[in-house]
Amino acid sequence: MFVMGSWRTLGLAVRLAAGVLVVAIGGWTAVARGQMSPVRGSAKRMVQEAALSAIDRGLRGQDPPREARTVDPAAQARADRTGSALPFVRGSLIVKFKAGTQSSEVVAATSQVAGATTSRASWANFDIVDIPMAADVEAAAATLRARANVEYAQPRYLNHAMAQPNDPLYPNQWNFPALDMERAWDIQPGATSSIVVAVLDSGAAFRSGTIRYVSSFPFRLTPNGPTYPALGPVDVPFAAAPELGESGSTRFVMPRDFIWDDDLPVDLDSHGTHVTGTIGQLTNNGIGVAGMAYNVRIMPVKIIQGVWDEVFDSPHSGTDDVVAQGIRYAVDNGARVINLSIGRTVGGPAPVVDDALRYAVSRGVFVAVAAGNTRESGNRPNRLADIGPSLDGMIVVGAVGQSLESAHYSTTSASVEIAAPGGDQRAGGTSGGILQQTLDLDLLETYKQPVSQYGPPRADSFAYYYFQGTSMATPHVSGFAALLMQQGLTNPATIEAAIKHFATDKGAPGRDDAYGFGLINPRASLRGLGILR
Amino acid sequence: MTRRLTLAFTLIALSAGAVPAAAQPAPTVRPAASRSVQIGGYGMVGRLNLVARETFEAVIGKRSGPVFGGGITMGLPLGGLYLDVGAWRFKQEGERVFVTGSEVFKLGVPLTVTFTPIEVTAGWRFRLRYARLVPYVGGGFTSYGYQETSTFAGVGEDVDDRFTGYHILGGAQFKLRRWLGLGAEFVWTTIPDALGGGGVSQAFGDTNLGGTSLRAKLTVGR
Repeated sequence: MFVMGSWRTLGLAVRLAAGVLVVAIGGWTAVARGQMSPVRGSAKRMVQEAALSAIDRGLRGQDPPREARTVDPAAQARADRTGSALPFVRGSLIVKFKAGTQSSEVVAATSQVAGATTSRASWANFDIVDIPMAADVEAAAATLRARANVEYAQPRYLNHAMAQPNDPLYPNQWNFPALDMERAWDIQPGATSSIVVAVLDSGAAFRSGTIRYVSSFPFRLTPNGPTYPALGPVDVPFAAAPELGESGSTRFVMPRDFIWDDDLPVDLDSHGTHVTGTIGQLTNNGIGVAGMAYNVRIMPVKIIQGVWDEVFDSPHSGTDDVVAQGIRYAVDNGARVINLSIGRTVGGPAPVVDDALRYAVSRGVFVAVAAGNTRESGNRPNRLADIGPSLDGMIVVGAVGQSLESAHYSTTSASVEIAAPGGDQRAGGTSGGILQQTLDLDLLETYKQPVSQYGPPRADSFAYYYFQGTSMATPHVSGFAALLMQQGLTNPATIEAAIKHFATDKGAPGRDDAYGFGLINPRASLRGLGILR
Repeated sequence: MTRRLTLAFTLIALSAGAVPAAAQPAPTVRPAASRSVQIGGYGMVGRLNLVARETFEAVIGKRSGPVFGGGITMGLPLGGLYLDVGAWRFKQEGERVFVTGSEVFKLGVPLTVTFTPIEVTAGWRFRLRYARLVPYVGGGFTSYGYQETSTFAGVGEDVDDRFTGYHILGGAQFKLRRWLGLGAEFVWTTIPDALGGGGVSQAFGDTNLGGTSLRAKLTVGR
């Protein structure tokens, strides 16, 4: 299994394959390390449960030459145009004169602030008074308010949709305004904790502590790359992502790790945490970024491994059976929505997964599955998505970039049923990806550094990264499904029908292989139908 | 609303029976075929049954509701011919929904629908031997004001439109006094192609905004 984040998927797969090859050459056999032996000599032991403080290393660019595009274009344009970042317009203010005020009195009043009234706009019972650009607008308004013939006077404050999150990095998240989420959140503000969304992925940064692993063999990530040495026993600190919820909080329910066979699905990859953030990142908390369904509870279920899980010799890998286990576990433990930003594009059908997916839907659980990122590498569809079109209640998700055109990597196939923002950094640069908080890759992926700097990872440091992939598109749909469930659509098939019905058609009219039925339209779906519109 | 309707009918009935007929002076019955224009007014209450049953049941939970209105009527010096201009109002609240197949799922977004039709009717009043009772029939066109508003609507998402349709009616008026009467009438209205362009009506294939209504009228004047 591999994750559907294309920015690193291919490289990761190659490195994993190479790593396995190197290990094999080193005397380890696939059987000895592989899925045939459920418990290898692997070790994962919690050595400290103290709630370590997570480290927030802020917004991180993936591509330095394009790193500058990390601010809200509209805000910057406004600041450039007006030379002001004030919360109101300079050079004018709103005034309502009392009835019966003579024009001479109006002139006298406005002249007090060196102003002049403009023509009154339609449907307005007030006037706009132009004042010098350099004037103190608030002081001018106060001056006018003090006059007996003025009913009110105020600056022209800039407004925005009320549901717009106050998270400071929200302006970097083009994906939510592109979906009109601010107005969608007006209707359904982030669902509630009654909805549990299971994220079946590489785990999630959901709690804090320190785990002792054992790195017992050297490895390489590429055939001709350097050999990284065995590290022996290593203590890996990990922490809950500040933007997902506090360690040990009720935000997270029934965590499960099917890679290590325990209930500690620590993310040693970053993918699962990023995906989880798009679904349920804490929002309107004045920190970081936003998520689609920011009030839901999260069930982290680890069903795929990262490089470190391999290095630490995890007893299981993300095979079809593990995926199916994860699906059934989530269903049986209260999940209402399952997010599968994973899959595979090689090999035959996955009936074990198909069966688990049917089970999920039959138990009232909605499932969103990534379509795959192989458009430019054979366009092979995700096999886990094979039954999507025939299973009402499971939906297969393709990706669009910031221009809302199909992303260059998004697999086109008969399986694709819907599209959502997954980012396209080829078209939009670094900031054309989907921004979320996840593990700090500088401190996590030490295997990308020279051997001399290679060391144990840290999973307690976080930063905001732009990722791209159908992996990133899928959690938009999962979060959307959670909002619909909260709004009253409880049947998975009905949710799928609503998502498709209200989708904004893209590409060829009707369904097509790139966009499916179109781009998701959460606001229209949550608002539903009236009699005539 | 039903209580108000019941109360209105009760008041009308009480007013009809308030004064024993024997205690009253015999009304002066004027010929129906007046040689002058006779002008009167009326108020009415009634109940509207919409033909777009599935659509309205999905959104407002029912297909019928009370109407309130009034109008002026003018008897012409041409036998029993009369003209009538009336207006009434129908207002109901519901919520927006999602429809798949025949299933309706309520989404909790409040919606208000208001009809304000204006009816122009030409008709004929029949003269009976019992002159207090005046049956009539008529027909005309209806200008059907239609408003649909809902919470969270953006610009252009609410509906404020007017459709044209036709109606036929029949009823009878009972003269209580020379200037006062009670009546009841049945109206059939068709407003074709007003619905079906979108929303739930499109999902159910309902296109006609018309229906039938039964109304009680209190008339004043000649």
